[in-house]
Amino acid sequence: MLIKIAFRNILRNRRRSAITLLVIVFGAVGLILFGGYKAHTFYSLRESTIRTRLGHLQIFAKGYSTSESQKPMAYALDDVASLRRQVERDPRVKMTAAEVTLMGLVSNGEKSETFIGTAVEPEKDRVMKSQRMLSGSELSNNEPDSAILGAGLAKSMHVKAGDYVTLMTTTVTGSLNAMDVRVAGIFTIGVKEFDDRAIKMPIAGAQMLLQTKKVEKLLVFLNNTDDTAAVRESLSRSLHGVEFKDWSELATFYHQVVALYNGIFGFLGLIVFAIVIFSVANTIMMSVFERTREIGTLMAIGTTRARLWRMFLAEGFSIGLIGCVLGLASGVALAILINHGNVMLPPPPGYTRGYPLEIMLSASVLVPAAVIAIVTATLSSIAPAFRASRLKIVDALGHI
Amino acid sequence: MTALVKLTDVSKTYRLGDVRVRALGGIDLTIDKGDFIALAGPSGSGKTTLLNLIGCIDKPDSGRIVIDSVDVTAVPLHRLASLRRDTLGFIFQTFNLIPVLTAYENVEYPLLLSGVPRRERSERVHRWLAQVGLADQEKQRPDQLSGGQRQRVAIARAMVVNPKLVLADEPTANLDSDTAGHILDLLAELNTKTGVTFVFSTHDASVIERAERVVRLRDGHITNIEVTRERVA
Amino acid sequence: MRRRILFLLILILVQKLHAAENPAAILAKVDAYRNPLTSFSIDVDVTSIAPDGKHESAKYRVLGRGSDKSIVEFVAPATDKGKFLLMLRDAMWIYIPSASRPIRISPLQRLLGQASNGDVARTNFTIDYNPTAIAEEGDAWVLELYAKDPAVAYNHVRLWVDKKTSEPLRADFYVVSGKLIKRATYSEYGVMNGRRAVTAVEIDDLLKPGNRTIMRYANLAQRDNPEKMFTKDALGKW
Repeated sequence: MLIKIAFRNILRNRRRSAITLLVIVFGAVGLILFGGYKAHTFYSLRESTIRTRLGHLQIFAKGYSTSESQKPMAYALDDVASLRRQVERDPRVKMTAAEVTLMGLVSNGEKSETFIGTAVEPEKDRVMKSQRMLSGSELSNNEPDSAILGAGLAKSMHVKAGDYVTLMTTTVTGSLNAMDVRVAGIFTIGVKEFDDRAIKMPIAGAQMLLQTKKVEKLLVFLNNTDDTAAVRESLSRSLHGVEFKDWSELATFYHQVVALYNGIFGFLGLIVFAIVIFSVANTIMMSVFERTREIGTLMAIGTTRARLWRMFLAEGFSIGLIGCVLGLASGVALAILINHGNVMLPPPPGYTRGYPLEIMLSASVLVPAAVIAIVTATLSSIAPAFRASRLKIVDALGHI
Repeated sequence: MTALVKLTDVSKTYRLGDVRVRALGGIDLTIDKGDFIALAGPSGSGKTTLLNLIGCIDKPDSGRIVIDSVDVTAVPLHRLASLRRDTLGFIFQTFNLIPVLTAYENVEYPLLLSGVPRRERSERVHRWLAQVGLADQEKQRPDQLSGGQRQRVAIARAMVVNPKLVLADEPTANLDSDTAGHILDLLAELNTKTGVTFVFSTHDASVIERAERVVRLRDGHITNIEVTRERVA
Repeated sequence: MRRRILFLLILILVQKLHAAENPAAILAKVDAYRNPLTSFSIDVDVTSIAPDGKHESAKYRVLGRGSDKSIVEFVAPATDKGKFLLMLRDAMWIYIPSASRPIRISPLQRLLGQASNGDVARTNFTIDYNPTAIAEEGDAWVLELYAKDPAVAYNHVRLWVDKKTSEPLRADFYVVSGKLIKRATYSEYGVMNGRRAVTAVEIDDLLKPGNRTIMRYANLAQRDNPEKMFTKDALGKW
């Protein structure tokens, strides 16, 4: 009955209700678009970070993370082949890739620069697509003494594909080593600071430089990101002498972006929230004012304060409900329109290329928008409800 | 003759800005069950104030009011809601129906407040709508009804709770003389048939002449109480 | 009779060869020319020459103990004056007056600049290397030296030594992959602390052809450098 009266009262002043609904719908649409953009950004960033860089899990030799050794590969994986076999037995695992990171000097005969190198399995690296080749070709298993250079580093070294550079590092025992490598190609990863220092080479070549047969880590890629925790759990039970890190522990940039966006959109959401509350509260308050005599009558014939409260809260709730439904419909429609519209956005912080605007319409985006629409509208009716319940019957009855 | 309402030395003062207006001073009054009383006087005499006090929608500044053996003087107004709901009925000059509700729903409303079950509600509402002659108009909204029809709905609403006392503030002031006459006939009929006590506040002579007792007020005091006709016991 | 003379000649020849080609003895003499004293101080004048002919000079005072502890005091240019380097076998520290603490330099960073040349100049062949072969090349013995320890910076050294005096002439330094990284030429000899010793070494950086460093030594003196001097906490405090 309360809802019936509430709805009828909403229909009483069509224009005013329409405007109020518009505010709520605006708020809901804003939440959906902002939230969907945010969700999509998080999802894309997460998946691209995992698939092109970190993998879902990383396996190290036990002791790796606590090691403070100045020598490279103090804690490294021994029998990669057998470790790999064991890991790939799990049907949730898509592929594994071994990696070694190393640092040293790269010299073109006239000057040296420090480099940060990632040694990879060329065929796995191709699947990962972590870099975009600007010239030359990708790494190949056939040429262990080759490397691809980041664009900035290649420029600083004045080399192009086909030229030779010398890589110098210390071996795992601390001795010096140097190796001439052919520049197979030049790449960019999209981040300038990285391109200025980065080198990628086949693992076999790095192992020659470092004088080792071991490998620093094994990356594990899953078919489904949601399986990460479960697979980690199962692998840690079946494998010994190793330790794990999952992508979330390693994806610091991702977490920073999440925190930043959550902060920004949280703040925006608060503003939207405030606007909706004031707007709806104002509307219902006007309604209370116009219905003063009616409220007086209701109280005279025995309506309690509590019941009056419920009446106005029901009105707030009802308008919130309508606003929620309309808002969801509009928000979803608008999002679908945008997704098909291929709007290009500028590059995010640290990257060099833009990407298309996409709104993700998941439950985690739509449900909060719906709930917030209804809750804010209901909360907006608190002040008016209070006012109504405090009216003096006689004064109210005498009101125009 | 059992006393339904007893007022003892009741006073009420209003504040209008900086001015204090003494609306009622030292009122003593007894209303018996089954009475059909008019509170009469010019505007400013305090008749509306007196009606409001009896109706428990206003509080006296001093004195004592007992309604149906309940001393309502010390109870805060909002706690008297259930008393108003079950024991009293109100009829207003401006009808005061809920515009978004149909005639049926307007009459039904007080029963919803008391939690009366559906079947009984339906039975009572239909009976009272029939009693006031509006059985065919139950689905109409107030803006689709004439003034007289609206007041009938209001009467049905007041009566549907089986009240002991009905308070009517200038019930015919907004009606033409013909309709007013019909309404008064209806009220008198109800008083006779059901034994419900009626108290009017009015300055209309035609209303006054229908009353059994007339309490004359002037400047907040009762000047005299006339008995205009004997009750048909 | 003729057979016996032949036999004796061969014996003498072999003995002479054998005596001459005792690599360990040769190495010991080589090191004596290069790093004569165990606990010492010495002035080093370093000139770096770039391929375009540009010269840069620096002066240092080195206090050493044994083959693997030394403190290098920066004397010139004025911008470097007051800095100190502590060079140990496994670690290197730099002390700069404006910083409150000495900074550790990683093995890789040691590759940069003059620190690598200092390492080359101070290599102790006897302690760190095994001579595995010896050959002749004109007036010089050519020794193949291989590092005893896999932690030694240069895995392999080819050393040219004067046959008569056992003075080192030249040393080529190779890394594990076999790549030739530096070449040291012992270009000048003189008398220091009453003995004949190497007074100048020219080091070529073969990764950057045309880059040459000339290190000149003077004022070699015996000095008592206690062990406790060669710690990072002592660095810069005196």
